[in-house]
Amino acid sequence: MNPKRADRIATVVFWSLSMTTLAALLVIIVRILSKGLLKALNPFFVFGKPEALKAGGGVLPMVVSTLYITVLTVVIAFPIALATAIYLAEYTRRESRLTRVIRLCIDTLASLPSIVFGLFGMSLFVIFLGWGYSLVAGAATLAVLSLPVIARSAEESIRSVPDTYREASYSLGASKWTTIRQVVLPSAFPGVITGTILAIGRIIGESAAVIYTAGLFVRKIPLNPLRTGAPLSAYIWYAQAEARIPDFRSVVDGGAALLLIIVLLVNFVARKLASYYREKKIAG
Amino acid sequence: MHRRSGRLFGENRLGAPDPHLFLYDLREMGISRSVRLSRIVKTPDNFVKCALFICSSLTVFFVFLVIVFILSSSVPALKELGFKNVFFSTKWSPNVSAPLKGNYGILAFLNGTILTTIGALILGAPLGVGTAVFIDEYAPVWLKGLVFRGVEIIAGIPSVVIGWFGLTLLVPMIAEITNTSGYGMFAASLVLALMVVPTITTLSFEALQAVPEDIHDASVALGATRWQTVSRVLLPASLRGIAAAVILGMCRAIGETMAVQMVIGNARQLTFNPLTRTSTLTTRIVTDMGESHGVFRSALFAQGLVLLIFSAVLIIIVRAALKGRALSQ
Repeated sequence: MNPKRADRIATVVFWSLSMTTLAALLVIIVRILSKGLLKALNPFFVFGKPEALKAGGGVLPMVVSTLYITVLTVVIAFPIALATAIYLAEYTRRESRLTRVIRLCIDTLASLPSIVFGLFGMSLFVIFLGWGYSLVAGAATLAVLSLPVIARSAEESIRSVPDTYREASYSLGASKWTTIRQVVLPSAFPGVITGTILAIGRIIGESAAVIYTAGLFVRKIPLNPLRTGAPLSAYIWYAQAEARIPDFRSVVDGGAALLLIIVLLVNFVARKLASYYREKKIAG
Repeated sequence: MHRRSGRLFGENRLGAPDPHLFLYDLREMGISRSVRLSRIVKTPDNFVKCALFICSSLTVFFVFLVIVFILSSSVPALKELGFKNVFFSTKWSPNVSAPLKGNYGILAFLNGTILTTIGALILGAPLGVGTAVFIDEYAPVWLKGLVFRGVEIIAGIPSVVIGWFGLTLLVPMIAEITNTSGYGMFAASLVLALMVVPTITTLSFEALQAVPEDIHDASVALGATRWQTVSRVLLPASLRGIAAAVILGMCRAIGETMAVQMVIGNARQLTFNPLTRTSTLTTRIVTDMGESHGVFRSALFAQGLVLLIFSAVLIIIVRAALKGRALSQ
């Protein structure tokens, strides 16, 4: 074939492939929002109690469960992830066999299917440790799941701090730990926070890992973390698969729209924060 | 003289650490206010290093725990039912009241997982790699950010939302066109294709970006068309990275649960027809876990074990493709 003609065909192909991707995204968002936006913005739905058999139930306990479990997860995972990131970025300039093992484990953990985490959390936290279906069990499972995600992004932002910062600090007589605490971490902070917020988006949307660790359905708002919860994403699945409410379609429509809005908002905040700090860095 | 890296002061003449000398030196330099000295003396570097090391080895411990608990939970099924009856049987008829009397062959679901994953990659890999090449080479500047941001948004959509979308729009559409129930591996592959696109696109894009600009420019300077540059320079140069991206997409497709569960129909039969109801490993676990106990539950854990082995093998292949370089996602 004539190279010019091949080039023209290729151009059309690449344009249509990427436009297909964008179109798919658009179709999903429009479809979910057009079906459920009104329900998702209805205060009786968002702040209402769920029903087990009747129509007209809300999702307040599920929204609270999601928030609760997210906070618990971050409280457990963030310190460990940050420590891992600091260790890998600052203390292992030369890769030893040990750090290679740690990296392999992080990669493995990051690529495991979430249902495997669900099985693991169920057999360790729910059954072996006897926590039952509870918010803590769900949060512990999600913590193991999100640990590698947070650690990777934190390590990347710590590594992107220029070495000149460290050298300046050392030349002032600061020790390594002081340098990390007072110089490296503050400048890596925006990246670390952005990565963590993105992980939060994933935690909120996660369902396979929580349905058999945290629970699927609750009537009341869970206050005790040792009690069963029902994260919104898990409840959406439960409502469409097993619930006996007559209006499950509209509940799932509303729940899916609400979940989508929350997750998009969280991701939006993360991106905005990242670009805000980037501009500030360039300006200042 | 023996000198530890990063610590320029705080050693006496014999080379031994001396916290007082350390304090004195810092005060001499007039930076005592900006650095809280008491904290430094209380947390010497070695202690911190030790603590950080312990935290980071927790990851290794967690992987160990995952393997131990999945393995030990699936041992009863393998022991009491026999390896052959679990992995080489397509008969899955659990008995809830007397678990030992049921049949627990997972071959049909293994087949479902493999076929849906292949389907997802046939649809999703060209989309993902094509979108990455588009962003890297073809897109006008204003469109680059838009497409990339769009792909990132797809990555963020929760799987239950994509599943609900598939269940309420794609399944009825397929049902209408093909005159079947609409549930099955085709619907699952469609949904999965969407979910692997972000992984494949972002990682392929990274691989394309890593190709030196000079090679690209040299090709253009020789008079190559854009397609010649892409097909003979960019893609060959980033082949390993793109292969790794596709394999990670495969990992995602194998492990995806909720979205697939909502559209595949959840029948227990072995089928090669993409338009009949069947199950995958992940969907069978979710569907049956609630009512299972004993050997039945253990057989579900054995499916988890298969998933665990799949993703461990794939990640080792990916790392080999990237020559041991750690992944960055």
